[in-house]
Amino acid sequence: MMSALHTRLFGLLALCWGSALIYFYHSQRIQEYLARDFHTLVLAGGIGIIILGLYSLINPQEKKSCCDHEHKHDHHDHPHDHNHHHNDEGHSHDHDHGEEEHPGDCDHEHEGHGPVATYLLTLVPLILAMTHTQDKLSNRGMAKKGLYEAPALNGLNAPAAFTREDLKKRVPKNEEGEFQLQLFAAYWAAGDREVQSIYEGLPVELEGRVAPEKIGNEADDRMRIFRKIMSCCAADAQFVGVSMEFPDDAKRPAVDEWVKASGILTFETSDNKILPLLKVRIVIPTEEPYSEFLLRQ
Amino acid sequence: MTDSTRDQLQDGSYEFLAIFLEGLPFIFLGTLVSGFLGTYLPRNAFEKVLPKNPTLSIMASGLLGAVFPVCECAVVPVIRRLVKNGFPVSCALAYMLAAPIFNPVTAISTFKAFNDSYFVVGARLGMGYLIAVLVGIAILRVAHGRFLKPSAQAESGHEHDHPRNLNSAMNNSLRDFMDVGLYFTIGVILTSLLKTTWIDPTTDFWKGLTDNSILATPAMMGLAFFLSLCSTSDAFIAANIGNFSYAPKLAFMVFGPMMDAKLLFLYSTVFRWKFIIILLAALFVLTGGLSILAETVYENYWESAQP
Repeated sequence: MMSALHTRLFGLLALCWGSALIYFYHSQRIQEYLARDFHTLVLAGGIGIIILGLYSLINPQEKKSCCDHEHKHDHHDHPHDHNHHHNDEGHSHDHDHGEEEHPGDCDHEHEGHGPVATYLLTLVPLILAMTHTQDKLSNRGMAKKGLYEAPALNGLNAPAAFTREDLKKRVPKNEEGEFQLQLFAAYWAAGDREVQSIYEGLPVELEGRVAPEKIGNEADDRMRIFRKIMSCCAADAQFVGVSMEFPDDAKRPAVDEWVKASGILTFETSDNKILPLLKVRIVIPTEEPYSEFLLRQ
Repeated sequence: MTDSTRDQLQDGSYEFLAIFLEGLPFIFLGTLVSGFLGTYLPRNAFEKVLPKNPTLSIMASGLLGAVFPVCECAVVPVIRRLVKNGFPVSCALAYMLAAPIFNPVTAISTFKAFNDSYFVVGARLGMGYLIAVLVGIAILRVAHGRFLKPSAQAESGHEHDHPRNLNSAMNNSLRDFMDVGLYFTIGVILTSLLKTTWIDPTTDFWKGLTDNSILATPAMMGLAFFLSLCSTSDAFIAANIGNFSYAPKLAFMVFGPMMDAKLLFLYSTVFRWKFIIILLAALFVLTGGLSILAETVYENYWESAQP
């Protein structure tokens, strides 16, 4: 039986959960966790949960035990012939509660956990996570999601076949005449030899965030420019990166800085993997976009 | 605190919040629906709608996801309430397992992720449906008490005088929301911990499996279990996770939406733990076996899905 006090306590917990959703939406921190399509859902969900919580606080219905007899139904799944295999003669309703029997409590609705356990197991992790998150993954976390990996050679949603003429029609150029190529297009080209031949030696401008380089950087002349790609939430995010090779006199950007990097796009083979490489002409800082996430489609 | 520990704490918190923020609105939606169904839906109402033949009922229930598309998080509280209202458990199980895969959103995302391949979409949806129906049929003659939690069993054999009003519906929703929300949170904690401490698909172990479907298939199902991805987005991960052949990728996309670390705890709001473990093993064997069989039989079709 759920007492009015329990209902109110659960209502209060629902208020906390709903408020957390609204907070993430309102503070725009949500953009670091979910794809844009889900932002409104979080707002609507937060409002709905708050309404549910408030309603339960105001109208705490005390659920009364609804029957005072025992009943057993060890029934099988024979939905239409009503052959419920009642074990007892005379349909005596000796309810089989098994090892979780609650004598005298005929409220089948819930075996339920008390408010204390529910608060501890849900609110504490939420608060801990909110206080320890940096709203982004560490470099180690990004590496586990592909930051330093070559693109897969099969099953990939690679760019449709096109020619350099198509490229000229579809991709805009900056003032220097460099193609403003999407970073992921440069990345995935490494998984398709035909596309590579079109991009090889192309003057391009790539926009993204900067990470340290861990591949082929023995001369310490490289950094990595990368973007996140996701479909739903950061749990399914993937990181795609292009190595940037700087000339000796070039100014290096800071790690995590948002930049536009211009130069010549090429491809190199390392450990039998083909990797994209930007031979940098210049790197300039730029503003972080509303959402770092790039939708694949 | 070492840098590694600090990174793990940061990443774990980030992963936890990402899944929590994405899943909670769906859990809420599912429990809201379940609360109102529990209050206003007449008990055994489905008997008038479903085919009389139990096997046909299960087959029809497996298709419901195409009409009522729900994700794997939202479907659990809904079927919990449906079962209590007399929806046959075998049908509910078929719907629960099939709906996250056999729905239009998942079909479109799979189509896009796999280079507009109708074959991959057909294989994924077909296999998900087939396995769900087989599991439903398998439990048809098993006593409910052996796998359903007492709290989830149908209230049959007697009529309760439950009030049918908004108060009752909202209270039902709140109770379901708290029950399911608790297990959902525990599942998300476990998933976040595993993802930040143990699971790393970029290690040599995973790369070494690329040429061996027999080993890669169970490994990819294990990965799907621990990653706990949403069925609407997992195809993009499967497509890009490495140079695996298609059996491991198909197994990843079929097994994950049916059984993962987060779902394990959500299922425990409906089923007994012993049954969940048996279900896990059955899904693992069925999905793995059928995926390898599909790759062997339809090798030429798989090739056409490559860019």
